Amino acid sequence: MLPLRQLWVILKKDILLELRTKEMIVSMLLFVMLTMVVFNYTFNAEKNDLTAFGGGLLWLAFIFTSFLGLNRSFVHEKDEGCFDGLLLSPVDRSIIYIAKMAGNLIFISIVEIIAVPFFTIFFIRFPFYVYWDRLWLFVMGLILGNIGIAGVGTFVATLAVNTKRRDLLLPIVGLPLLMPVLAPAVIISGAMMGGAATKNTAELVAASVKILAAYDIVFFAAMALIYDSVLGE
Amino acid sequence: MEIEVQNLDKYFGRRQVLKQINFSVKKGAFLSIFGPNGAGKTTLVKILSTLERPTDGKVTIAKAVLGQDPTEIRRRIGLISHSPLLYLDLSAYENLEFYGTLYGVAGLRERAEFLLEQVELTHRRHDLVRTFSKGMLQRLAIARALMHQPSILFLDEPYSGLDPHAVDILDGLIDSIRGDHTFVMVSHNLEKGLSLCSAAMIIEAGRIIFHEDKKDIDVDEFQQVYRRSVKGEL
Repeated sequence: MLPLRQLWVILKKDILLELRTKEMIVSMLLFVMLTMVVFNYTFNAEKNDLTAFGGGLLWLAFIFTSFLGLNRSFVHEKDEGCFDGLLLSPVDRSIIYIAKMAGNLIFISIVEIIAVPFFTIFFIRFPFYVYWDRLWLFVMGLILGNIGIAGVGTFVATLAVNTKRRDLLLPIVGLPLLMPVLAPAVIISGAMMGGAATKNTAELVAASVKILAAYDIVFFAAMALIYDSVLGE
Repeated sequence: MEIEVQNLDKYFGRRQVLKQINFSVKKGAFLSIFGPNGAGKTTLVKILSTLERPTDGKVTIAKAVLGQDPTEIRRRIGLISHSPLLYLDLSAYENLEFYGTLYGVAGLRERAEFLLEQVELTHRRHDLVRTFSKGMLQRLAIARALMHQPSILFLDEPYSGLDPHAVDILDGLIDSIRGDHTFVMVSHNLEKGLSLCSAAMIIEAGRIIFHEDKKDIDVDEFQQVYRRSVKGEL
């Protein structure tokens, strides 16, 4: 039971710190909203039908918003050497990884839950091009995509925590690692918006879900297993 | 032996920061380690406290071998360093509760309250640590390090930045647990380090250049060796 208590107490601490400082969520929300406003003006969304590009625009905004948050996710640990305090304690490194990842997953998801309705208003010719029967698929794409981003992002953010150029390391290392997440996530999200993906067969979407789920499982397991080796012992 | 270090080497890239370190510390002993800045003292403490991996050599702490059973070692050790290892946006009590839960401390609330009383921070228990002075932070750091009742304490310049009151509190706490506990302290304060220790060591450029039991130490000679090491004359 102790590992579960340890996992919960690390996650609870991260949530409590975020509730008190609001550093991650507020900066992520501002960034994602600004991105959408810029996209809206750039593509003249009122006159042009952008539903074909909806999935791509959505994930472009989300991936950079997530990086912004993930870069902040170790700020509290860096202050006053707290990460050393965490590493000194008799906690399995995989527990630390899972707890930190779960925290990041929650924060990214909260931002997306707020951002998606705005995205719908800006970019989708509501309600004619929305396939409501595929809503579950859209939500599943978001969940699986977020797990991938939080899993890879937490791992790379840990690598970056003791480097001088940590703001650069996450996009440079994280983006290539996340390509297998982004491509299927764009296809799945696009399928609900009546974009290009809907012209593809249902098999393509089904395959994308499988690829995304498999990637999440394999990467999550691998990261949890090798997390110890990236931390000094 | 409570701590045993054999042929320890540590490299950062191509730079060797610890060279063939060998020493042991008996249970209940107090080892003070001195040396100039950059000598490798903090790296040594980080290795002993499982925060860094040695490049080569064997370290045994409380009969557990570093690298084979780090979790068991972590249960037995506590670290007080010049960084307090405290979350600034948690309260004093929340910090102790957090670390206590990680260590699986039984009677968490009572233990936290007891330690807050010992470091005279009971009246600030619900205040965010961000509002604490340096001395108060260091006092709370002492409570954090003792939360799980470690049998071995590593002290990395623990008196750095402390006001006289906090020095008295730390002295009192060390006095109260001496005998049952083993201490390894890194310090630049010769007087304090020598007064507390049962053995003293000087590290210079990653090598041990002096290591004696306190009873065998000629204080004048020791001070001369230390001053020459700090000036880089050795």
